[in-house]
Amino acid sequence: MFAELGHFSLILALLMSMLLAIYPLWGAQKNHQQMMATAKPLAIGMFLFTAFSYVALTYAFYTDDFSIAYVAHHSNSLLPWYYKITAVWGGHEGSFLLWVLIFAIWTVAVALLSDGIPKAMVARVLSILGMVAIGFYLFMLWASNPFESLLPFYPVDGRDLNPLLQDFGMIIHPPMLYMGYVGFSVAFAFAIAALISGQLDSTWARWSRPWTIAAWGFLTVGIALGSWWAYYELGWGGWWFWDPVENASFMPWLIGTALMHSLAVTEKRKIFKSWTVLLAISAFSLSLLGTFLVRSGILVSVHSFASDPTRGLFILALLGIVIGGSLILYAVRAPQLKSVGRYEWFSREVMLIGNNLLLTAATMVVLLGTLLPLVHKELGLGSISIGAPFFNEMFVYLIVPFVLLLAIGPLSRWKRQSPKALQKHLIVAFAISVSAAFLIQASYDQMTYMATLGLVLSGWIFVSTIQEIMQRTDASHNKERSLLKRLTSLTPSHWGMVFGHIGFAVMLIGITLVSNYEEEKDLRMRPGDVVELGGYAFQFTGVRDLVGPNYSGHVGIVDVYTDTSLSEKVTHLEAEKRFYPVQRTSMTEAGIDSGISRDLFVALGEQLNNGAWALRLYIKPFVNWIWAGAFLMAFGGVLSMCDKRYRMAKVAKVKQRFAKLATPDVEASNVATAQKVSQGQA
Amino acid sequence: MRKVTIFMIPLTMFVVLSIFLYKGLYSDPRQLDSSLINQPLPPFSLPDLMQPEVTHTPDVFKGDVTLMNVWGVWCVTCAVELPYLTQLREEQGVRIVGLYYDQDTDPDFGIKSIPTIQKEVEVKLGQLGNPYAFNIFDVKRDYSLDLGVTGAPETFLIDKQGVVRMHHIGDINPRVWNNKIAPLYNQLVAE
Repeated sequence: MFAELGHFSLILALLMSMLLAIYPLWGAQKNHQQMMATAKPLAIGMFLFTAFSYVALTYAFYTDDFSIAYVAHHSNSLLPWYYKITAVWGGHEGSFLLWVLIFAIWTVAVALLSDGIPKAMVARVLSILGMVAIGFYLFMLWASNPFESLLPFYPVDGRDLNPLLQDFGMIIHPPMLYMGYVGFSVAFAFAIAALISGQLDSTWARWSRPWTIAAWGFLTVGIALGSWWAYYELGWGGWWFWDPVENASFMPWLIGTALMHSLAVTEKRKIFKSWTVLLAISAFSLSLLGTFLVRSGILVSVHSFASDPTRGLFILALLGIVIGGSLILYAVRAPQLKSVGRYEWFSREVMLIGNNLLLTAATMVVLLGTLLPLVHKELGLGSISIGAPFFNEMFVYLIVPFVLLLAIGPLSRWKRQSPKALQKHLIVAFAISVSAAFLIQASYDQMTYMATLGLVLSGWIFVSTIQEIMQRTDASHNKERSLLKRLTSLTPSHWGMVFGHIGFAVMLIGITLVSNYEEEKDLRMRPGDVVELGGYAFQFTGVRDLVGPNYSGHVGIVDVYTDTSLSEKVTHLEAEKRFYPVQRTSMTEAGIDSGISRDLFVALGEQLNNGAWALRLYIKPFVNWIWAGAFLMAFGGVLSMCDKRYRMAKVAKVKQRFAKLATPDVEASNVATAQKVSQGQA
Repeated sequence: MRKVTIFMIPLTMFVVLSIFLYKGLYSDPRQLDSSLINQPLPPFSLPDLMQPEVTHTPDVFKGDVTLMNVWGVWCVTCAVELPYLTQLREEQGVRIVGLYYDQDTDPDFGIKSIPTIQKEVEVKLGQLGNPYAFNIFDVKRDYSLDLGVTGAPETFLIDKQGVVRMHHIGDINPRVWNNKIAPLYNQLVAE
């Protein structure tokens, strides 16, 4: 019954999105205030109906309602309650429902938080979001309905959730990723609204900046969580696999990073306008493309949900309308975008656009690498696969100029920078980063070119970021002020940039060290055996049985000591191997001891004869820095969003209100306080 | 005019990409399941569950139309279909062979002894009915993998020559039997 209400609620949400797509836009074109005013309630309505629908599906999962096809296929009565709730997005239909729910959340957030932006602009933006939403609601109701009933014949028990997805990482990774993916729709809507209205000044860039940063922050965290999940859940010991689905989330991130920076240039210097608009369209288009690649089953990957071509065709048609439509609009309107600012070849503008181009090139590399196998096959050239070596090599080429510009960019001035003035900074930065790289490497047995390169690059970012802070704080007029005062005088968005760049450097250190100094051993061990790896002694104590709510399996126990005398214990690791009977799948849960400078990682393999087991041991230096870097970058995003500039309109409004109140009311309240005080004294 | 051409580039790229995506949609490399249909069963040599000294090979399927039912005592849905399968055997004389699959005897997980399993199976079949002519014991679960089994219960319809004619995923109930399996089954019996 509840499920039917959920279905009905989804239809109402579709209705809301249709009205939202029509009325506010119409109102904005005709300058009709009442029609524009419908935008907010309609956006709220769309959100509430979608949310109710989502709750209804969750309830069906919670109560094991196997009369619903989707529940029967993705849940099981033995599943713990928290996985029942997260199983809602474990399959195709439900993850789409989550997608539209998050879309509705972003829409309602724009509707509620855009007080400072002209009504007509907000109305247009919300209408565009409504148009995109129509497509997805129609898709759900027509081709992928999560509420489809199996009545009158339904199974006694469900098929269970894919064990890979029964994990804490799975609980938060997809919603975060979707928040990022879908969040780019806001920047997209602002760009399209600007194109439609012909209001092609750079104000739209300021309005869409905080939204873009928010979406980018979520996507950063989402990708980092996904990578972390793969690291400890898949038991392969890797943290990035260039899997098509990972790539699908990486492409919007790359373009989103470019967009964030390009928006800053467009806002401040009123240049690169058409480029920024194109990036805004591209970021969301790549999100949609990612959705298509995952949902259509067109690319074979660990992530893909098998599905039929009709669904893929529907999404492709949707893609055609949304992306094709906006690119046509772009082709027509972009020639009118005139950039007014002037700049010379050596200036901050050029460095930013340079990095924009490098990020776009990186996106192209990922796009090509992901789709080339498909194109190759369609051209009749047979199946090929493009693996990690291709991507790794291309990214090494791209990262060197990228880091160079990343480091010099913030040090440079807008319009014109004399290269001579930077010379001193550059020499100091280069000297420090090279010596740091050699010092760090001295603690490892051998030195590699790749590790040196990576460490020099990360050191370079660190040093130049510090130089940049010093440059800023020295420039502030009052030199006598304390350092702390001077540091706090920098704006939050400036600190956002600092954290973003430092985060990137931290991540680069992690990637460099783990890729070059990782140690690995595949072993056959019997209980009691001791093996040495990377300065640690691993003792395999044995295996005990494991019984979980919906799985059974074995736990391999390994104790780690500082040396083979086994006197000083470092840690106790338990690596699990689980078997899920309903889905008949085996899963590993690695035993990991995390640390700042290294992770000790143990995975349990097959049982061999004579009581021996296959074990895989890893030492992963600085692997946590990869995720720490990602979180620092996201934190930088949060800081940037907190900047006062984006609340300017609000602040102005409040000031206005106070100004109005000021004369009579303040006096009145003064009198009131005075009276109170005197009463108190009496 | 030259400027407009530049701004058409993204659109053109997207159109080309869409064409490939469209074509790719209809050439799914993963044609599930179809590889086994109309093929003889893959070879196997596995013990009988109740009399481990007896070894079965694909020859046991020659001469009779058989339903091979993949099941285990741990499987909830299997328990539901057992009475109906028993009814099919008793009323229509359908030959049903079990492919028994036990999670606990896998070498990776194994501690349960064969007598324990036999006892569990006897109790289960005693309660719910025994539809099986005999049970093949998929000791290492390898054979289920060869068959492309994705869960339990699953059933294979095998003709008199030992060729797989149908693969059904999920339980067999009157509806599935009458609509999906019986027509082909009767045709195969008549051959």
